Amino acid sequence: MIKTFRRGIHPSSNKLTSDSSLTIFPTPRIVRIPISQHIGAPAEIKVNIGDAVLAGSLLAEAKGFVSANIYSSVSGTVKKFESIVNAQGNSVMHVVIENDGKYDAVNFEPLDKDASKEEIVARIRLAGIVGMGGATFPTHVKLSPSKPVDTLIINGAECEPYITCDHRIMLERGEEFVEGVAILKTALGVERAFIGIETNKKDAIEYLSNIAKERGIEIVPLRPKYPQGAEKQLIYAVTKRKVPAGGLPMDVGVVVDNVHTAYSVFRAVRLGEPLYMRAMTVSGHGVENGGNFLVRNGVSYREIFEHTKGNKKEEDLIKVISGGPMMGFAVSSLDASTTKGTSSILFATKEDVKTEKITACINCARCVGACPMGVMPMYVERSVDIGDIKGAVKYGANNCIECGSCAYVCPAKRPLVTSCRLAKKLAREKGVK
Amino acid sequence: MIMSDNIKFSVSSSPHITSGNSTRRIMLDVVIALIPAMIAAVLLYGFYSLFLIALSVGSCVLAEFLFNKIKKEETTVGDCSAVVSGVILALNLPPAVPFYVPIFGGFFAMMIVKMLFGGLGRNFANPAITARIFLMLAWTGIMTKFVKPIDLSKGFSEMFSYFKFAFTTNGMDVVTGATPLSYIKAGAFEHIDLTDMFLGRIGGSMGEVSALALLIGGAYLVVRKVIDWKIPAIYIGSVALFTLAFKGNIDYVLPSLLGGGLIFGAFFMATDYATSPNTPIGVVVYALGLGLLTTLFRIYGSMDEGVSFAILIMNILVPLIDKFIIRRPFGYVPKKRERKPKKIKEETK
Repeated sequence: MIKTFRRGIHPSSNKLTSDSSLTIFPTPRIVRIPISQHIGAPAEIKVNIGDAVLAGSLLAEAKGFVSANIYSSVSGTVKKFESIVNAQGNSVMHVVIENDGKYDAVNFEPLDKDASKEEIVARIRLAGIVGMGGATFPTHVKLSPSKPVDTLIINGAECEPYITCDHRIMLERGEEFVEGVAILKTALGVERAFIGIETNKKDAIEYLSNIAKERGIEIVPLRPKYPQGAEKQLIYAVTKRKVPAGGLPMDVGVVVDNVHTAYSVFRAVRLGEPLYMRAMTVSGHGVENGGNFLVRNGVSYREIFEHTKGNKKEEDLIKVISGGPMMGFAVSSLDASTTKGTSSILFATKEDVKTEKITACINCARCVGACPMGVMPMYVERSVDIGDIKGAVKYGANNCIECGSCAYVCPAKRPLVTSCRLAKKLAREKGVK
Repeated sequence: MIMSDNIKFSVSSSPHITSGNSTRRIMLDVVIALIPAMIAAVLLYGFYSLFLIALSVGSCVLAEFLFNKIKKEETTVGDCSAVVSGVILALNLPPAVPFYVPIFGGFFAMMIVKMLFGGLGRNFANPAITARIFLMLAWTGIMTKFVKPIDLSKGFSEMFSYFKFAFTTNGMDVVTGATPLSYIKAGAFEHIDLTDMFLGRIGGSMGEVSALALLIGGAYLVVRKVIDWKIPAIYIGSVALFTLAFKGNIDYVLPSLLGGGLIFGAFFMATDYATSPNTPIGVVVYALGLGLLTTLFRIYGSMDEGVSFAILIMNILVPLIDKFIIRRPFGYVPKKRERKPKKIKEETK
């Protein structure tokens, strides 16, 4: 029996780009690198206008423990600092660099195989590595758990429709990726490590199983279902451990990291390269030449659209989504820049997304049946609508992971995720638990 | 700051994709599932059944439409839920009621039970079943006169013969007082033919007589995941168990399951979204309650039949069930109760 979690949904996977191998995206002359590409405090700018930088030069330094260093992705000159609306809709300071096209790079000294736990974590922190599945939580924080941990799980589920970049990394950078997993294992000091991969990526499972086995890492095939890659669901699927409501993975002795994060850890530790470039899926029916690209940080969405659109027109785009269609952010313009967390850009036309009319709730409770977290979204929505925050919390609003399964199955197309998000925000403000 | 004056993309919240399902699709699925029962009604009682169904659907849709107009709100008939209520109400009627009965029933179901309580999803009880009970109280005589199925060997014109009852039920060749359930109550098993009950050659409401047609439709709903299979399964199963427990005689079981609209009620009325619980455990409690009440009404009540009243009562209890049975979040940790052992000890001393 192939493992999985309870409830959840089966959206059509639409992996249009799973056969497209990773290619280097041509970097434009101007890159705009945001100083906040992670959860936590924005980094502090350490360069001045007119400074010459190399790919791998520190642009902004982490401010506090939960923060991450930001590096230049190209060699060239710092032109100006500019506040731009990022993909999430917030105004963020960007360092604008004129690319000299040479891509001269500066790296750290690579660490060798017998590097200690502390050295590895320090290096990961220095290299500015964050969770690259999209949540962008600084990785060094995860690697410093305050509770005993015995298991590392690598999230290779890639359960979001359209996204294929983790799949391609597993196929094309398998050795390096598994080495990265082994490094993470050392950093955590754990014996057990699993890589959870959905069975719709059979080629990756087959290819990796031998490589992983040699390193004492187990591949766990998972039955495709959304949201398999959600931390608590993945932990349950792989280990049958249940993270307590309101708790963290380390409460059950587990740390979860994403495939791309492990690959970046390999690059930072074995090659000494800070994180300023990532694999990214460009997909959707709004572009003709979508695919999986290695993109330097700070490339604008417009450049990416222009490069991949082929004969498609901008007017036909309904939504541009940063991330996957289930949890990604719809951006308001193409000015946003790619960051460490941009796993995918989806140029969506009416073939991909529909704007549907919201009708009355018919009480079918499909949302209750779909929610992997045991929330009752219909009641959360009703409670929030009448300002009853206590009621919303009683029906589980604080456990919502915003995966969107409820809104996906809703026949009345009700904005249930928005309600849960609002309930959580109001509960936090009013201190309702 | 680049204030993009070229904001032109839709920026709604995630998720950006939804399943192809819709309220209308669900309602149409229920109508499709009722087609076998409607065909059975026409084959058994002729085209007058179709006429009654049309009247019932027409008045339900019209009632909802008029209500929308009076309230000056957007018309909601497009979701097809009124059509479903209309068909179910018609199939709940005896096969040869006068034409005004479905009209009154349709308006009562929509105006009073559904729209006054806030429309789709807000009704406190199943509109069709509540309307049926209303009609039974208003026209008890008419509503308990079950005409015999037509005899097609007399020629195709028989299909139209029941139009003569459009204004009056006088001269009806009735099977009053001799439905299978009344035989069961009297313990007269020699009059019960299980094959006839399965196919529908018995007295009863036009849509509830043919177990075969209803099971086909019910299976469609389960396969399409429109209804929760647990409700009909537990309801019908518990009626079987309770009947056996109260009567202690296995002969009672099968006729009880096939008669009295149990299958119709279990698949098409007890499963109404608005009036069934929203948690898996709540559903089990609800369905067991339905089974128990139905059996009690049938065995100890003055009427032969108990499905309608059982569903109405359990419908009304659903808000209570949903209040006390809610889903625990994933990884739920029970709150530790504050114990007061010291105090008790002091008191006992």
